[in-house]
Amino acid sequence: MRRVRAVEAHARIRDVQSTVVIIPAFNEAQALPSTLRELCAVRPDLDVVVVDDGSRDTTVRVARAAGVEVLSLPYNLGIGGAMRLGFRYAVEQGYERALQFDADGQHDPNEIATLLAPLDDGADLVIGSRFSGRGDYKVGRSRGLAMRVLRSLAMRLAGQRFSDTSSGFRAFSGPMLERFAVDYPIEYLDSVEALVFACRAGYDVREVPTHMRERTGGTASNRRLRLLYHYIRVLVVLGCSPRPARRPVRGAAEAAAR
Amino acid sequence: MNTRTQFLLLAFTAITLVAILRLVRSGKLKAKYSLLWITLGVAMLALAALPNIADRVAEKFGVYYQPALFFVIGIGFLLLVVIHFSYELSRMENRVRTLTEETTLIRHELASVRAELAVRPTDDGE
Repeated sequence: MRRVRAVEAHARIRDVQSTVVIIPAFNEAQALPSTLRELCAVRPDLDVVVVDDGSRDTTVRVARAAGVEVLSLPYNLGIGGAMRLGFRYAVEQGYERALQFDADGQHDPNEIATLLAPLDDGADLVIGSRFSGRGDYKVGRSRGLAMRVLRSLAMRLAGQRFSDTSSGFRAFSGPMLERFAVDYPIEYLDSVEALVFACRAGYDVREVPTHMRERTGGTASNRRLRLLYHYIRVLVVLGCSPRPARRPVRGAAEAAAR
Repeated sequence: MNTRTQFLLLAFTAITLVAILRLVRSGKLKAKYSLLWITLGVAMLALAALPNIADRVAEKFGVYYQPALFFVIGIGFLLLVVIHFSYELSRMENRVRTLTEETTLIRHELASVRAELAVRPTDDGE
């Protein structure tokens, strides 16, 4: 009994809507310090966890030095694997919301509020779009074309319009976190798969325009063959994805809880 | 089919079958992986031992060159075995991933508990 009350008190001490920022990082020692410094300066109210995806440089040391929590994977799992670990951590630590933020400094911490706002409104997954007006993010021509094809396929499967399906600037609600902690696409281009999955499973997915910058460091995952491989892999995954759920999962879960 | 071919085939399948069964008995090969091999072995053995079955089956399926029947059956089974392996491999990968996540979380927790203990070595937390 006493124990229960202590736990409740602990939960109350924490912010009512406790949020954790998950930063997946693979060999990002160069850009990470300034990214973390800016993030902590702009949003000191948020907890930050860096998920080191088996980096071979000083990513872990640099992140620890910045005073944030660090989860260090023993080998490279890929961006999706790192994110799933982040989701698991968020759920186990009792966070109610989470945010994905890039280590390379292309996301603007001032835009975090824009991303979190729809969550209060009942959204489960909020995507910070690079292409819906605000900001001046540019991509190469072939990459742009590939992204457009993927986007139209994803929109078709999701049954919803999106201007940017592969953004890594996203916010997650509690129920979404719990789902993704056990079931998340585990490789590169995870965001497209996750988006389609969330839409088909009946989660409330929304997109907000956000401002993004050019990358400040690190290497973009754009080695041609690898990208092509993952691209085809995602096409196969999307092609094989199960039929959409008739009823929203959230409603079903709430009904079961009652 | 030539008697010599038949004998060779019989000997080969029998030896393979015995080898697989011995591996299973000594626990070096899990039974679930051996099932397809044993099925293949028994089917081959039956076809080799009773050539008129092979003849009839070949005729029924329109296979004119009878030894080809053995190839078809063999390749078909190999395909099944490989698919089975891919399936098991995917399952293993999922498990290894989950274990990796688990160890990482535990290591993180261990580090924070250690840090906490280092700060107040005598305080019991009440």
